[in-house]
Amino acid sequence: MALGFSMILGVSRSLNLAHGDLVVLGGYVGYSLWAAAGLSPVLLLPVAALALAPAALVWDWLLKRTPEPKELSSLVLTFGLSLLLQTVMRAIWRGEYRLIAESSLGASLQLGTLALNRGRVLAAAAALAVVGLLWLALTRTRWGQAVRATSIDPQAAALVGINVDGARRSTFLLALGLSGATGVLFATLHYVHPAAGVELTLMAIVLSIWAGVGHLRSVLAAGLLLGMIEALTVTGWGPGWREPVVALMLLGSLLARSGGLARGHAH
Amino acid sequence: MPILEGRGVSVAFGGLSALRGVDVAIEEREVVGLLGPNGSGKSTLFNVLGGLLRPTSGEVWFRGQRITGGPPWVAGRLGIGRTFQIPRPFAGLSVLGSVLVGVTFRTRHRYRRAADRRAEAERLLGLVGLADKAGARAAALSLGEMKRLELAVALSSRPALLLLDELASGLSPKGREEVVLFYARLRERGMTIFAVEHSFGLLAQVADRMLVLDQGQIVVDGPPPAVLASPRVAAAYLGEEER
Amino acid sequence: MRSGLAALLGMGVLASVPPALGFHPYYLFLLSTAFLLAAVASAWNLLAYAGPISFGHAAFFGLGAYGAALASLGGLSPWGAIALGGLAGAAGAAGVGLLSIRLRGAYLALGTLACAELLRGLALIWSEVTGGGAGLAGIPALPVLPWLPRVLTEGRAGAYYLALALLGAALGLFALIRRSRVGLAFAALREEEERASLLGLRPLPWTLLAFALSGLVTALCGGLYAHVVRVVEPDLVFSRHYSILPLVMATFGGLHTLLGPAAAAIALYLLSELVLHPLLPALHQVGYALALIAVILYLPGGLAGLRRGGRRAHP
Repeated sequence: MALGFSMILGVSRSLNLAHGDLVVLGGYVGYSLWAAAGLSPVLLLPVAALALAPAALVWDWLLKRTPEPKELSSLVLTFGLSLLLQTVMRAIWRGEYRLIAESSLGASLQLGTLALNRGRVLAAAAALAVVGLLWLALTRTRWGQAVRATSIDPQAAALVGINVDGARRSTFLLALGLSGATGVLFATLHYVHPAAGVELTLMAIVLSIWAGVGHLRSVLAAGLLLGMIEALTVTGWGPGWREPVVALMLLGSLLARSGGLARGHAH
Repeated sequence: MPILEGRGVSVAFGGLSALRGVDVAIEEREVVGLLGPNGSGKSTLFNVLGGLLRPTSGEVWFRGQRITGGPPWVAGRLGIGRTFQIPRPFAGLSVLGSVLVGVTFRTRHRYRRAADRRAEAERLLGLVGLADKAGARAAALSLGEMKRLELAVALSSRPALLLLDELASGLSPKGREEVVLFYARLRERGMTIFAVEHSFGLLAQVADRMLVLDQGQIVVDGPPPAVLASPRVAAAYLGEEER
Repeated sequence: MRSGLAALLGMGVLASVPPALGFHPYYLFLLSTAFLLAAVASAWNLLAYAGPISFGHAAFFGLGAYGAALASLGGLSPWGAIALGGLAGAAGAAGVGLLSIRLRGAYLALGTLACAELLRGLALIWSEVTGGGAGLAGIPALPVLPWLPRVLTEGRAGAYYLALALLGAALGLFALIRRSRVGLAFAALREEEERASLLGLRPLPWTLLAFALSGLVTALCGGLYAHVVRVVEPDLVFSRHYSILPLVMATFGGLHTLLGPAAAAIALYLLSELVLHPLLPALHQVGYALALIAVILYLPGGLAGLRRGGRRAHP
């Protein structure tokens, strides 16, 4: 999920404050499909990813048109989009909390002396798989390289003959597809509710700051670290602490890097 | 004692050296010119001397006080004024307002009443020939007018030293003549000036001394005839129109 | 200027009429809320006038609400409580303003957002003081002022006039500042911080002042709100709505203008509540979102004030 955020940042210098809400949307879509058609969560991943495709095109179109300074305008714009999404989601799905509670996910897996929740393990595996696929796509295919080049320096990429618009669009599709898929995974682990997006966005921002734009492996590592900090906080202090801790980490990261998010672009 | 002094100023960005061990000393009431081809580091040097940029090494003193690396208001309060090569007007303010900023905050004790401040601002505008544009929006001026506003704004804080960054660039020949006149008038009033220009000929008319910067180093430092005669300067790019 | 002032006074008189005419309390409440939002929008606008775009004004609103609630429940008179809440908001805002030492533009905005979320989370956790998720209830109502006709200060009418007064104060503050040295400093720092500091202006004190003033007004609104609804809870007063609505209203109405934010606030709010809500009950917030998007994309002139921070292309 954070990958998608930093990809968007790289390609369009836009900070997508609605990112978390898109994830939640993916979760809701996934939930509805699961509840209505009983699709297995594994199938839901690509479906949700595709479902967000139209949104990706809209985001691309809108963000192309934001005036300078891009970072700030996009932030304000996506703030509005976030409100829009939350309102719409609340309208469609009401304010209730939803969970994709497949019975097969609740079972316990024994790993030596650790009893792990099967659902969580699968979710983690799925997340890794998706990221792995993405990494392969980005590094091994020509299309992937075009996307990476565009995210590092759109003007240089254009000079080299890369179809920048197409690459941008692909990036958005990819990023939002990731969000959608993440949403499904998220929905299997936590309850989704319309206001859950902000926290996710903040986490995405923190991860993007820690890992720098575009560093795939760093994002993974940072994600792990963040997850651990989160888990420790929750077990040590209680679930209510999660939000303030994320906020605090965002503050800390911002101050430490003092706004250097869009710099340090290299892969 | 020189009013402005930089010793061993070096600035490196990443792998690039913009300035290497530059020494500058400007005496009070001197008019010193700075020349050099594009990319030789002129604006960087100005930024360092004005306290806007921290050099990688070296020190800058103004009136005996260390101003290396800023903060900018220290240099400003001590008496440095600056124009920018690409004008930076206060876009939301009027022309008069732009000048009022310096008058209001730097010369508080001299002009206590609002009417006095206004009068002083208008006087400054008159100096640069913008009196009739006082009410216009600063962002709506032509390039020549904006450059004049740059000068007026720089003067509004009653500086002792002016750093002028390519005041004459982009202007018509008539505009450049006016710039030469400005230099002369400022000099008459006892202003110390350190000016960057592209054109040797223009600077030669007003400067006591000229420095030539090439690839981050001062290659020549002397009065205009000496500079003109120097082979090192001929080697570096001087400026097309007047050679 | 004269005619503007007269128009303003006229509107003020007009606005004073509804309670006397015996409007239904619901409408009075609606208008009161509209006035409070307008005041917050103006306060937000004041901060933006000095440069910073805040995504976290809910923090100040909430500080004012909780501060006033705690003080009031602790025995202080409602007036004192609201004032105290206001001071809490001002102090908190100045604290947030310290972020500007390191952050600018979009990143400062994110920082303010983080602060607001942080406060909200803390309010939820710190139950001993804030009552946690349930919040604080039973806040005393605003007292009747003995030296004014009862009808003017009782119940909804009283809140109405207070909200109107706060709006007037917020507008007055902005107008005063804009014409003063403070306003000049604010505008100069907003437009060209480097140049302004070369002219001797230190950004930090002025930024902190802007934050404190904006926070003060916002917090006073929060405190008043607490005494009108008489309940405060984290999701209510630290709600992101109080962060996003002033932003939308101010940008839509005209950033840095005197009346734009307030007018847009009242118009958008009433539109949303009276028109959209009955029609599309679940979607009535959409109006704000669309307004914001429309402004960003199609009315760049109104957003001239967003051009702040770090690297910028110069004309």
